[in-house]
Amino acid sequence: MSPFDKIDWSQLWYPGPTRRFTQAEIQRAGGDAPSATLSMALMLNAAMLSFLLLQAAPPQLSGVLSALLIGLIVSALGLGNIIWRSPSRRVMTLCTLAYALVWAIAAIAAKRTVADPEQRLWTMELLLGGICVATVCFLFVALYRAHQIELRLRELDERERAEELTRQLADAQIQPHFLFNSLASLQHWVQTKDERAGPLLASLTAYLRATLPLFNRRQLRVGEELAAVQHYLEVMQARLGERLSWRIDVDEAVRELNLPPALLLTLVENAVEHGVQAALHGGSVHVLGRVDGALAVIEVRDTGPGLTPGATEGTGLGNSRERLQQAYGNRARLTLSSAAEGGCVARLEIPFAPSTNHE
Amino acid sequence: MNDPVTALVADDEEAPREQLLLALQIAWPELDIKAIAVNGADAWDAYLEHEPQVCFLDVRMPGLSGIEVAQRIAGRSHVVFVTAHGDHALDAFNTGAVDYVLKPVDGLRLAQAVQRVRARLMANANQAPPDLARLLQQLGVQQARRPAPLEVIQAGVGREVRLIRIDEVLYFESDTRYTRVVHAEGDALIRTPLKELLTQLDPERFWQIHRSVVVNQRCIASALRIDEGSMVITLRGREERLPVSRHFQGLFRAQ
Repeated sequence: MSPFDKIDWSQLWYPGPTRRFTQAEIQRAGGDAPSATLSMALMLNAAMLSFLLLQAAPPQLSGVLSALLIGLIVSALGLGNIIWRSPSRRVMTLCTLAYALVWAIAAIAAKRTVADPEQRLWTMELLLGGICVATVCFLFVALYRAHQIELRLRELDERERAEELTRQLADAQIQPHFLFNSLASLQHWVQTKDERAGPLLASLTAYLRATLPLFNRRQLRVGEELAAVQHYLEVMQARLGERLSWRIDVDEAVRELNLPPALLLTLVENAVEHGVQAALHGGSVHVLGRVDGALAVIEVRDTGPGLTPGATEGTGLGNSRERLQQAYGNRARLTLSSAAEGGCVARLEIPFAPSTNHE
Repeated sequence: MNDPVTALVADDEEAPREQLLLALQIAWPELDIKAIAVNGADAWDAYLEHEPQVCFLDVRMPGLSGIEVAQRIAGRSHVVFVTAHGDHALDAFNTGAVDYVLKPVDGLRLAQAVQRVRARLMANANQAPPDLARLLQQLGVQQARRPAPLEVIQAGVGREVRLIRIDEVLYFESDTRYTRVVHAEGDALIRTPLKELLTQLDPERFWQIHRSVVVNQRCIASALRIDEGSMVITLRGREERLPVSRHFQGLFRAQ
């Protein structure tokens, strides 16, 4: 592949931004008027240039030349505004042609009518120079504005997507069913003065304290998340009694890594709900984390019925995958499968690079 | 209506179950609780054993969900669901005029639900309770992850483990603590109780005809009505007659 393949040759004879924005996109990106700073910079440049020109020109011509300069600048600003509002190749080219046509006619007219050779030369030079400068300025405005809209749209898209994911996560995470069922056990044990009430209340409080701020963070240390997981399992243990047994077995090195928050918690909740609560004789949940070469592997295993063929994955898992992708791109993987010895395994693989992983 | 009303209470979690029982003592002191079940399979079995007039069923239970148990009860008994906020069945319950109480159980709300059930029991002394079939059908679809139906039964016979393909099974029969698996070439005993085995069988292929008998539908030759309220079935190429209890006689109707 030669480097010339990458060149868009059409830019030579038809320059300008190639992406065309719809009116809705431009509106969404906002900023219908050029920023005050940009306008001021352009004005100052124009004023400086005009001042220098007028210094160089013979003094008796300054009146005529000033009038021409004001005309050139005002019309360029007007067209520049149009280009700003819709920075397409077509609008830019039309504006440039219109500008060049009008001032070229003015230059030809000056050549024919102005008698004084010095004034004629200055007028024509000024007009043709103005056309050249304005053309470059138009191209600059169009490219700058198109780039700005594109960046802004991308930024808005990303922000909306992140908000959407957080909202979905919050919806999925704050489970009133879990909360009220736990409260049902708690209320009963308080009423009957059962000694299990105290530890359950402590675990539930710790769980809520650990989970509520989760949604505001982009990244969370695995160790912190495991604390929330542990409190969750303690609550479920109190409620389910012997039906649930669990173990958390995660290496220190893995605990130091960062993950999108609530990801592990979702996996453990699924394991308890589908692998233990749905099983007639209960079951166990095992959270396992270790470093395997360049990968950190975290597995959540349950002893339940495993995956039903053809069953669809819940929104929780899809959301987790997407957030994992946002954080790690294609270097992380989340898979769900039936284990050979029965039950279900959720396997999370993330690149292991402890020194570069901190925020 | 002088006999106390009979009831079944089912919840897989200990504390909410105990709480409901305590609250019922206050809200309905004369209620005769015949059975307390700790999962869906247990609840269905207890229902068949006692045929209580009112069933308090937790919605999320292992084995069979409260919805599935209610589907099987099919309107023969009044059902009050017990669930917590956030259950997706709640919306349907509200639109379908289904009785339910929320956990943690509130004494006042429970008293109201009890009042409604008592009023219905009075009014419909000779009439079946409302059948919620259609509503439950909709809800039953939204089920938790389930194991695929069993394909092979592994039965220990002496020192060998015999594999019996599910298609070759003629019927299952409860035998005290065991389940007898009768197949084309003989029979075997397995330790899984029938009520648990039931939740792992495809209900289209295996019909429960009695609390203690589940039969392979393809092997049924005929159903015979002996007298009012009693029925038996015969199997293809077999001598034995299996009893069909009243609850399941509706399965056999001439077209």
